[in-house]
Amino acid sequence: MSGKASALLPSDARACSASAARRFWRFDFRDRIRAWGFGFVLPTVVFFAVFKYGPMLWALELSFTSYDMVSQPRFVGLDNYRDLLADPIFRETLVNTLVYIGGSTVLITLVALALALAINTRVPGARHCMMAMFLTNLMPIIAVCLVWRFLLHPHGLISQLLHPLGFDRVDWLTSSWTAMPCIIFVTVWRFAPYFMVVFIAGLLAIPDDYYEAAHLDGASPLQRFWYITLPLLTPMVFFVVVVSALLSARIFLMPFIITGGGPGNATRVLSMLIYETGFSYLKMGRAAAISAVLFAIMMIFTFLQMRFYMGREEAYIR
Amino acid sequence: MTELRTAIIPPTRLIRRSRPLLGSIALAGLAFAFIVPILWMTTTSFQAGEKMFQLTTEWIPSVWHPENYPNALSRAAFGRYFLNSGVVSFAVMTGNLVFCTLAGYGLAKFHFPCARLILLLILSTLMLPLEVTLVPTFLVIHKFGWLNSYQGIIGPLLVDAFGVFLMRQAIVSIPSDYLEAARIDGAGELRILWQIVLPQCKPALAVLAVFSFRDSWDQFLWPLTVVSVDRMRTYPLGLVQFGDDYGNPPTEQMAIAVLATVPVFLLFAVLQRAFTRGFGLSGLR
Repeated sequence: MSGKASALLPSDARACSASAARRFWRFDFRDRIRAWGFGFVLPTVVFFAVFKYGPMLWALELSFTSYDMVSQPRFVGLDNYRDLLADPIFRETLVNTLVYIGGSTVLITLVALALALAINTRVPGARHCMMAMFLTNLMPIIAVCLVWRFLLHPHGLISQLLHPLGFDRVDWLTSSWTAMPCIIFVTVWRFAPYFMVVFIAGLLAIPDDYYEAAHLDGASPLQRFWYITLPLLTPMVFFVVVVSALLSARIFLMPFIITGGGPGNATRVLSMLIYETGFSYLKMGRAAAISAVLFAIMMIFTFLQMRFYMGREEAYIR
Repeated sequence: MTELRTAIIPPTRLIRRSRPLLGSIALAGLAFAFIVPILWMTTTSFQAGEKMFQLTTEWIPSVWHPENYPNALSRAAFGRYFLNSGVVSFAVMTGNLVFCTLAGYGLAKFHFPCARLILLLILSTLMLPLEVTLVPTFLVIHKFGWLNSYQGIIGPLLVDAFGVFLMRQAIVSIPSDYLEAARIDGAGELRILWQIVLPQCKPALAVLAVFSFRDSWDQFLWPLTVVSVDRMRTYPLGLVQFGDDYGNPPTEQMAIAVLATVPVFLLFAVLQRAFTRGFGLSGLR
């Protein structure tokens, strides 16, 4: 169509390109507004280029080298990755990380949903209870870890509470069967109230009319939950699952403080291994290769989350 | 039949009326169970050192020991550590408020080329937390010569992708007509941002302020990596060192933990109203 038009009227085409050129050189007010918009975004773009994408590419490059910060990086091809696969500690750490992500994601989601439903009964004082529970999410993580290390001590508060129920002294943090569940428990205690708030926001957005209509039709509370609440809450559940998975994939401080990765390697996770390999043993190349593995895990969840984010326009949180 | 029903109603109503009360009590119990560790931390910080190792927890100290606080502060340079943490957290919070708002506004209301691609790329950095890019980010800071400095600790934390997204979503819902009208009236772009956009996203700003402050106040791994001298330590590093040093009573460690909790709770208390609106919880009472 445009080809035909320019063939018929060459002078027009020239005029067109001339105006395009003029438009290119002249900065009309619309362009000026656009330039402002780009200017607003620019500092952030530069930041992410320097502190996120630059390091990401550098990490990929480093993962093919052997580098100790003293001598020059030496290219070793896939050796770092091959060594990792053969390393039983790395495999154990990877399994721990996946178990931790799975366990805490599922439990955080279930606990947060249960708490949100409890608050959403809107009994008097529900709001204050919500605020109180949310405090666990604001307490500094280091304080959380230190307090729980004492509470889970064989003579600590948890053992004292369980004693009347017939439990003997349990070495919560030093036996390989209970250490990881304990870390997951503390994680849920710390993060579930945050996701509870997200769920409450979702529950409040469901119009009361739906429930009233269902009530008139004789739906039981369970049916109302199953056929109204859950379908309308599905996007929120998706958000909570993905964000808590991302949070738990990068966990460092809880195992580092509460168990120190032990007993043995039972609670060692990938981020701890990255830190130790890079900064205790100065094997930067190998640490970068472990980072690449953690990155791959996070990428899966991020893509899931992106699909969620880009489809929605309302404000979402955290 | 009708008479019978009316006769039955009063007791039913009584049960119905007492139900919320039972619910309130149950919920309050649950909330209490959640904050037990916070209460334990607080009372333990006033406890005598040797009471920590008793077999039963003494909930209310028989003798209060408020001197745990000055003792703990004098055993290590906690004043300096808290100052460092304060400087870092305040800078990170300010940086997030400024840059996330600017970027969120730019991405929400301006149609320049690649805007959507930029948004995607920013959101993608959620898969690149410091834990993943630890080694190369350390090398970048090393190249800049920023090891053991405030700019070194603050730099990589200054903007958070979640914050950009949060602010974008808050600003998208402001009608563009307002901005156009202001432009026609001759307002500059910065003035529009300051006088029209900002007042309307106060709740989102409150959420962003609380979370960015909390996250940088909590930050452990990054200062651990980038700081190697005592004078630049933030309080979490100092607190862990304090626990590792032989002979420091755990009660004093709890005292420092309480002091560390106060600023976050205070900030939350100040911003609570806007914060709940930012979360969409205004309907709950």
